[in-house]
Amino acid sequence: MVQSILDAISLGGLYSLAALGLGLVFGVMRLVNFAHAELITIAAYTLVLTTQFPLVVSLLFTIIVTVFVALVMEFSVYRRLRGVNPAVMLIASFGLSTVLQRVYELMFGALPRSAVVAPFLRGDFKIAGLSITISSVITIVLTIAILLAMGYLIERTSLGLQLRAASADFKTARLLGVRSNRLISAAFGLSGVLAACVALILVIQNPQISPYYGLNITILSLVGIVIGGIASLRGAALGGFIVGVVLSALNTLLGNGRVYAYSWLFILVLVILLVRPGGLLSKGTELERV
Amino acid sequence: MKHVGVTKFSIQNLLGPIVFLILLTQFVGGASTSLQLITQSALCLFVMVLALQVFVGNSGVLSFGHGAFALIGSYVSAMLTAPVNIKDNSLAMNQLWEPLVPLQVNIYVSLVISAVVSGLIAAITGSLLMRLNGLAAGIATFALLGVAYNVFFNNKKIGPGSQALPGVPWITNTWILLLLAVVTLIIVYLLNISWIGRTLRATREDAMAAPALGISIFKVRLIAFTISGAIAGLSGGMYSHVAGTFQVQDYYLEFTFITLSMLIVGGSASIWGALVGTFIITAVGQVLLMMEQDIPVFGLQVNIPLGSRAVIIALTFVVMLLWRSAGVTNGKEFALPKFKRK
Repeated sequence: MVQSILDAISLGGLYSLAALGLGLVFGVMRLVNFAHAELITIAAYTLVLTTQFPLVVSLLFTIIVTVFVALVMEFSVYRRLRGVNPAVMLIASFGLSTVLQRVYELMFGALPRSAVVAPFLRGDFKIAGLSITISSVITIVLTIAILLAMGYLIERTSLGLQLRAASADFKTARLLGVRSNRLISAAFGLSGVLAACVALILVIQNPQISPYYGLNITILSLVGIVIGGIASLRGAALGGFIVGVVLSALNTLLGNGRVYAYSWLFILVLVILLVRPGGLLSKGTELERV
Repeated sequence: MKHVGVTKFSIQNLLGPIVFLILLTQFVGGASTSLQLITQSALCLFVMVLALQVFVGNSGVLSFGHGAFALIGSYVSAMLTAPVNIKDNSLAMNQLWEPLVPLQVNIYVSLVISAVVSGLIAAITGSLLMRLNGLAAGIATFALLGVAYNVFFNNKKIGPGSQALPGVPWITNTWILLLLAVVTLIIVYLLNISWIGRTLRATREDAMAAPALGISIFKVRLIAFTISGAIAGLSGGMYSHVAGTFQVQDYYLEFTFITLSMLIVGGSASIWGALVGTFIITAVGQVLLMMEQDIPVFGLQVNIPLGSRAVIIALTFVVMLLWRSAGVTNGKEFALPKFKRK
């Protein structure tokens, strides 16, 4: 029971990190970056392929690689698509996502690559007679640390202020002196860092990396940011958390019916959207063309 | 976004795509057996892209849910025509709910039924979903696809689950498929120039001004969603008779992305765009496949490394969007070049 609750919270935290990465980019340029999945994937590959180095070095290297890929995306594709219909940007990000998946397949092969990352985080320990896996605790601690750091960055720094301003109203933010190109690059960079963090946690739990590794979590976090409220970063994090917790709870509660967990989750999403079309944290409904 | 979309009937807008389709079917489809198969499945995909054009192209609301309607259409058509002994004996179907086994109708009747069933489901789900706007609507339709896929993939009482249902009768005559595609094209064209298409595009261009002019966004979107769901169902039904099988996996993410990208690459605002997009993506895929297998293309042998095909297709697609974000046709209908008089 305790383990189930910890699992639910850790999955929720993980999804809220992924949702935050998507939400950052969406906020500044109204882009649903589907290729975020491939940032998580490349981070996971880098982690698994650099296990010969100490974890800190490997992690640092991973963050550099992931941020680099994120910036390449922004410079090569998204920068040229500024201001076009968001639907076209979304479709372009699907295209980019497919390109990267195939490139990974050519580079790393279609079969899963695996290696033990951070073996000391495996296994479980006992508290008051309860057996608890180390990885779930580590995930929760890491997630809280990262969320706090992100919270500090977004609420207390100038960059965070600019990000929030741009999320609320990009045009007005520009008029008030926010440099759009620099800000958007920063958002992509940050989403790269978050993707690397997500990958680290994912890899500890499941070290079988295939070209589609990041797909599932990205789709579900996308669902999360919409039910949380697209307009705000808090909403994105909250929505991701809800999706993770609900999915984990469904998997525990449904027993044999757990193959239908996704159906129940999606039905819940539909209900939430019908009741609050702008997401849980929205204030009134907004008309937006996507 | 430019204000595009036809409002007046013009014979060349309609005949252009039809002639192009007939020529393609005649010359490409008739060239070899493998090209004939490609042409047949491309015709099914084209019908699907037309379905997306009706709703996505005119309303500007992205739908990831149409895969669900194609899935349902394909399922209905396959279940109604697969031989009873296959449904009764095949391993994939051993848990099938009894009353479903003896169902049997004519192939063409089954196509009509799949369109009707998909249209009905689109009407029911649409009456809830069409209240939503923007990204929320997109994600909600994705949830629809997710539920349909999840249920059909896991429930072996209603279908083959994750396995394929074999023995679905073939439609081998390409001209019948062509006829279906042409009829759909004409319906979609007439719909686009009717009040439905026009008011729907009005809601796309300005979601504030349209209601002020007395347009019910919900109503026009629901009508279009229903019709386009029915067309998607027809396309799924056609495909199950082209492939001779039904499999849930054929209608999930990849299908959704490929058909949406065909629409967007061609130009989502016109049926000509739908046709050009379907043609380009299919042709690029096919040419690259031949290069990968070292088969000469138009007498020219270009070899590309194995596995690079998929990268190039996706890359072409991204480059095309960068080059023309409103699609290759810019969302315009087919028109003969105008010669200026001096």
